Amino acid sequence: MVYPEPLEKLITGFCRFPGIGPKTAQRLAFYLLDRPREEVAGFARAMVEAKDKMRFCSQCGCFTEKDPCGFCTDPRRERAVLCVVQEPRDVLVLERTGQFRGVYHVLHGALSPLDGIGPEELRLPLLARRIGAGGIGEVIIATNPNVEGDATAAYIARMVKPLGVKVTRIAFGLPVGGDLEYADDLTLSRSLEGRREM
Amino acid sequence: MAERSYKTDALVLNSRPLGEADRLITLLTWEKGKIAAVARGARKTKSRLAAGVDLFTYGHYLLHQGRSFAIITGQEVKEHFIRFREDPDLYPYGLFLAGLTDRLIAGTEPCPASCRLLLDSWRLLDGELDRDLLCRAFELKLTDLAGHRPHFEGCLGCGAGGAHIFSPRQGGVFCRQCAGGDGMELDPGSIALAVRLIGAPLAQARMLRPGPRQKRELAQVTATFLRYHFDLDDLIKLR
Repeated sequence: MVYPEPLEKLITGFCRFPGIGPKTAQRLAFYLLDRPREEVAGFARAMVEAKDKMRFCSQCGCFTEKDPCGFCTDPRRERAVLCVVQEPRDVLVLERTGQFRGVYHVLHGALSPLDGIGPEELRLPLLARRIGAGGIGEVIIATNPNVEGDATAAYIARMVKPLGVKVTRIAFGLPVGGDLEYADDLTLSRSLEGRREM
Repeated sequence: MAERSYKTDALVLNSRPLGEADRLITLLTWEKGKIAAVARGARKTKSRLAAGVDLFTYGHYLLHQGRSFAIITGQEVKEHFIRFREDPDLYPYGLFLAGLTDRLIAGTEPCPASCRLLLDSWRLLDGELDRDLLCRAFELKLTDLAGHRPHFEGCLGCGAGGAHIFSPRQGGVFCRQCAGGDGMELDPGSIALAVRLIGAPLAQARMLRPGPRQKRELAQVTATFLRYHFDLDDLIKLR
């Protein structure tokens, strides 16, 4: 069925969102048509405003409205502990735990030479400059525990260690609530390596 | 009607994020050649598939053939090449071997020889040996298995022995008369090395001690050959 042009444009727009197929796009478009005009206008404004006002922090690379961001300017945070993550959304995940009070460095990706992503394409030179400026005693690497994430972690460790800074990697282990018998060999062996005294 | 669910041993050649939490992986299987398969939910921390669908994994997989892709319904890891991801020097080598196999091997015909070659190469790469020489041996053997073996024994034009001018375009060596100004002149030792690497078992690369000139020339030969016939610039840069 061919929809009127404005509706077709809306469906096509939703289709571009990650994880949204034509059926879901159609459902979202019809949902919007059912909502009051003010609500839809508010949603559209929120999208444009977020796009206009959000930027990356020049120091850590997180999303922020003001540069430098709240994490980098907060005097209560430990500036000597730096946590390196792959994506800005990883910062929010770590913040949700409430356990980390240091500052962040977002790489905006992981090393993937076949996709043309090398150290220069990430924010690694910036990380080296940040550490070289002094004041950082520990770098915690919290990249994803997959091939690209591990390779990036290994690269960072090699880059940072000669600067005399302690480098740590977040622990690998069993997920909370999971059964031991279902754990794979790699996770189990890594959790044994990373065991702690009680 | 073909069985829609099947089990196979396979090597993971590529693994990419797909959608919200899935992974699209390329498997090189012993029985069914190269296949694309989806590992649903593999990026979630509690996924039972996650550890077996990462690159540099050799495992046993249970698959169900869907309309476009196979779906991985179970897996058991046989061997993880952990050092490739933890050693920045080793990572490009492992990636190169997987990438080259992914690009040169196609189709769903059984390919046990290619599987064995990649598995053996990953195992050898993890040990102590000349990694560059192992890669040259791998390149030559894989192009042979893919049906594009470069010709080093005698002139491609007249069949005369002692031919030593390699033409990437023609994929072989020529004598001076037949070459006609085309190709790169090689040391006879480089040609002997190429012949040895194609014919001898992979593990013998450990015992060879070629000189720097032979190694350099052979690297040029395989690079220009792979570039010309397969357009593999991105992979060659990894070497």
